[in-house]
Amino acid sequence: MIIGNYRIELEPRLSTPKWLYAAVPALSLLFAFVVGGVFIGLTGHSPIGTLSLLIERGYASTKGITNTLGSATPLICTGLAAAFAFRMNLFNIGEEGQMYLGMIGSAWAGIVLAGHLPGFVAVPMVLLFGALCGALWVLLPAVLRAKLGTSEIVSSLLLNYVALNLVNYFIFGSRGIFRDPTTSFPQGRLIEESARLGSFGTTRTYPTVLIAVALAIGLYWFMKRSNYGYETSVFADSPNTARYAGMSSTKLTLSVLLFSGALAGLAGSMYVVGPAGKVDPGLLQIGLGYAGIVVAALARYNFVAVILTAILFAGLREGGASLQISSNPVPISIAVVLQGSVLLFALGGEVFRRNRLRIRRVQQVSVAS
Amino acid sequence: MNSNVWILTFSDAISIATTLILATLGAILTERSGVINLGVEGILLMGAVTAFLVSDGTGNLWLALFLSVLVGVAMSAVHATLTITLRANQIVAGLALVIFGNGLSQFIGKPVEGKTRPVTIEPMKLGPLSDIPVLGPILFGHDIFTYLTWAGALVCSLYLNRTRPGLVLRATGDAPATVDAQGVSVAMIRFVHTILGGALMGLAGGWFMLARGTAWSQSATTNGIGWIALSLVVFAAWRPLRAIAGAVLFGFTLQVPFTLQGQQINILPPEIVQMLPYVATLFVLVMLSTPRARRLLGAPKMLGQPFVRDER
Repeated sequence: MIIGNYRIELEPRLSTPKWLYAAVPALSLLFAFVVGGVFIGLTGHSPIGTLSLLIERGYASTKGITNTLGSATPLICTGLAAAFAFRMNLFNIGEEGQMYLGMIGSAWAGIVLAGHLPGFVAVPMVLLFGALCGALWVLLPAVLRAKLGTSEIVSSLLLNYVALNLVNYFIFGSRGIFRDPTTSFPQGRLIEESARLGSFGTTRTYPTVLIAVALAIGLYWFMKRSNYGYETSVFADSPNTARYAGMSSTKLTLSVLLFSGALAGLAGSMYVVGPAGKVDPGLLQIGLGYAGIVVAALARYNFVAVILTAILFAGLREGGASLQISSNPVPISIAVVLQGSVLLFALGGEVFRRNRLRIRRVQQVSVAS
Repeated sequence: MNSNVWILTFSDAISIATTLILATLGAILTERSGVINLGVEGILLMGAVTAFLVSDGTGNLWLALFLSVLVGVAMSAVHATLTITLRANQIVAGLALVIFGNGLSQFIGKPVEGKTRPVTIEPMKLGPLSDIPVLGPILFGHDIFTYLTWAGALVCSLYLNRTRPGLVLRATGDAPATVDAQGVSVAMIRFVHTILGGALMGLAGGWFMLARGTAWSQSATTNGIGWIALSLVVFAAWRPLRAIAGAVLFGFTLQVPFTLQGQQINILPPEIVQMLPYVATLFVLVMLSTPRARRLLGAPKMLGQPFVRDER
């Protein structure tokens, strides 16, 4: 691009300085706070006061940080789900629906199967059923993509709306197994006590956070060391090379999408064995599945970094929620505005990490007439 | 059940199709240039909330729609800058727009949530045409935008297929390197059409709010229409006139759950009937995935691929 006497160019960097890896997310967050601040200001609140309150209540108190860790737990899982698929250029954006199905599957196992089982069998089984149902929900988009090459983007997303109506049906529209039979108020039936985990002390952090963190680290290690991890990364960089080397694109596509769905389903399960204990339509409003995509993108699809970005985002949400409790409440959706802006800035910033901006003076060539 | 109900359902289907056609035309123009903008749902929501807030504040319908268009332009300009200038991943950038639009529309719309729509785009009478039995109310009982939208689809079709800039646009989506070799800026063509598409999507959201929506609600206003529009692009095979037929069909699936509920017809629980538009869309996508259908469709060849001259 030429502006005036200057030529502005993006030039690929040969090596990226270490500080840039941290600077891009940090600056994105800063810019997002500026955008969020503008809208907070426009609605007649104090931007700096509101944002510092949000940060304080999200991270800087014992109650704040433990609440944040609690809500980060399922978010780590949806983040891992998105990262796992996206890094292979498979854009599963149906984490939201897969998570609802995970919730349904876990609640079913927790109500029907967990009856006389001890906790150390019941809890893993309930989690497993959630993961299975999540994987099942992505099966159709996965098969279409692997066998026919149909874009998984729209198909996985459309299923979110189907899943949403399915949860509503189980709780509001029918009197089936998922609904609490003891009351006429429409709410989920609690799963067996043995299949539930208690939180740490009086906090809202559940032991499932350890599973989520272990999963992230395990995945990081597995995808770096294993044959499978190597194959997916070759496939991501060049499907043709992978095919030439004899790797089956059908198998890789299917397995990656199904595993991604299972991880998203697990997010719903963790909600069931932890805080909710039932199919809870309240989860439908939180948008953890969509947030997982942002978390993954911000972590640049690095599994360990997902832990950090998930905690960051959960803090925004917890802080945002706490802003509701005041005489002049700031709508909780400010958290979603911040999330969207962080991602937009991070995407832009990514370019400056990979490329260097060169501004050179150029001589105007005058054409002799 | 009397036949009037079904006349009304068809009429509503054609009415809802207006939004679908506008959004689909926007997406077609964008995608024909080789850019995929998944942010449709976010732009629709922002267009809708803008139209609501502006008409609530000023009572001026035209100003409301104009600002909806501007919001669409602004959001698609963000997408264009990220994906064309900065070469960010188009899929992720589009998703970011959806999340951003979701949050912001809910945030700025919070004070008016649940409030009834301040102004209405009134349907117009087309003289004797509207009095024809059955066909009259179905085809000729709509507002001016519905007819303008049909005309718009025709204009888009002529533009794409019969004009020189339209030829350049199609070439940009299929073979950007050739366009570049001709001395035309690929980035410029893509920028212009992404923004033009965004303007149509913004209008789609604004019109939907003021003509179809009853009260503003972030979760219920668009309800996935943006994603259905994206599937419609595939259904219409990137051709504007086919988008009309597809939009009416999908409009019908969107309207039927309401008709069944209104008539107290309980063949299926309402939550299951609500799945209809999404399941129908999925079904169509599956049908279009067969190798034979694919050959006939002809998607822009370089859809979603950034163009970098040096890497040719």
